[in-house]
Amino acid sequence: MTNPEENIVLTEAVFYTLLALHKPLHGYGIMQETKAMSNGRLILSAGTLYGAISSMLDKGWIKALPEEEDSRRKEYVITDIGKQVARSELNRLHELAENGDRIINNSIIQ
Amino acid sequence: MTKTIIKTFFLWEYEKEEAWLNEMAGEGWMLIRTGFRKYVFENGTPEEYTYRLELLDKDMHSPESSSYLDFLKETGIEVVGKCSHWVYLRCKTADCKFDPADRPLYNLTHLLKLQEFFSKLHHTFIVVVALCFLGLFILEHLNPIPVVAFFSGFCVGVGFATSVCILIATPYFRRINKKVKAAIKDLYTCS
Repeated sequence: MTNPEENIVLTEAVFYTLLALHKPLHGYGIMQETKAMSNGRLILSAGTLYGAISSMLDKGWIKALPEEEDSRRKEYVITDIGKQVARSELNRLHELAENGDRIINNSIIQ
Repeated sequence: MTKTIIKTFFLWEYEKEEAWLNEMAGEGWMLIRTGFRKYVFENGTPEEYTYRLELLDKDMHSPESSSYLDFLKETGIEVVGKCSHWVYLRCKTADCKFDPADRPLYNLTHLLKLQEFFSKLHHTFIVVVALCFLGLFILEHLNPIPVVAFFSGFCVGVGFATSVCILIATPYFRRINKKVKAAIKDLYTCS
């Protein structure tokens, strides 16, 4: 099992997928949700998303829900480990933003 | 209206092949089927589709590959043809799921697969040459009856032919290695 306390840096695709999967979604749903959250900026390509999903399934950050009978689409949802990973990434992003604010915005004022 | 074009692309020319297919699509010719060196196009609206070639890890009908291709279908990507482990994919240009931003990673993945294939080939060549030398060495110590002479000749022939193959293929091995290095560098600077 991956220890979420480790300093893992997530890619944008992985972070947004984890956010999107706070509710169960299938692949295409993740793409649409990500696009909506980023106001159309981040458009995940199918290959990238597939790679991200299989890697996160292996690590246990997300899990596949049992398939419905008349549906070939697989739905995924975030796990507790995944939630911890997303939280620690959020903390890291806060740190980045705070330092950026402190240094970049101050240097503009000077 | 359809038209068929016979054209040859080598294994490492997938970028060129893909660019050509997209060029054809730009002119209103959409690829709908492929065969050995054969491309079947259908007349349509220019740039309606965007094409991409992908190298699968396993055969198209293996569970891993079908699960991947099913996933692609779900997102609106069609499989129009295949050639060994390569698949020809397309999606509507207006709602395209091939992101140019993931191009560096895509390139590296494919080049590494090609490199693996070429290095296997290279190793096989070297083993064949080594076996021929070993064979010759053993045969030298046997009585020179006709059968032995035949096998000696065989070993010399095969060893020589394989050595020539290595010589011819070396620039290609080098080119792939160079491309892999360039692709890794590219990855560092991508968004």
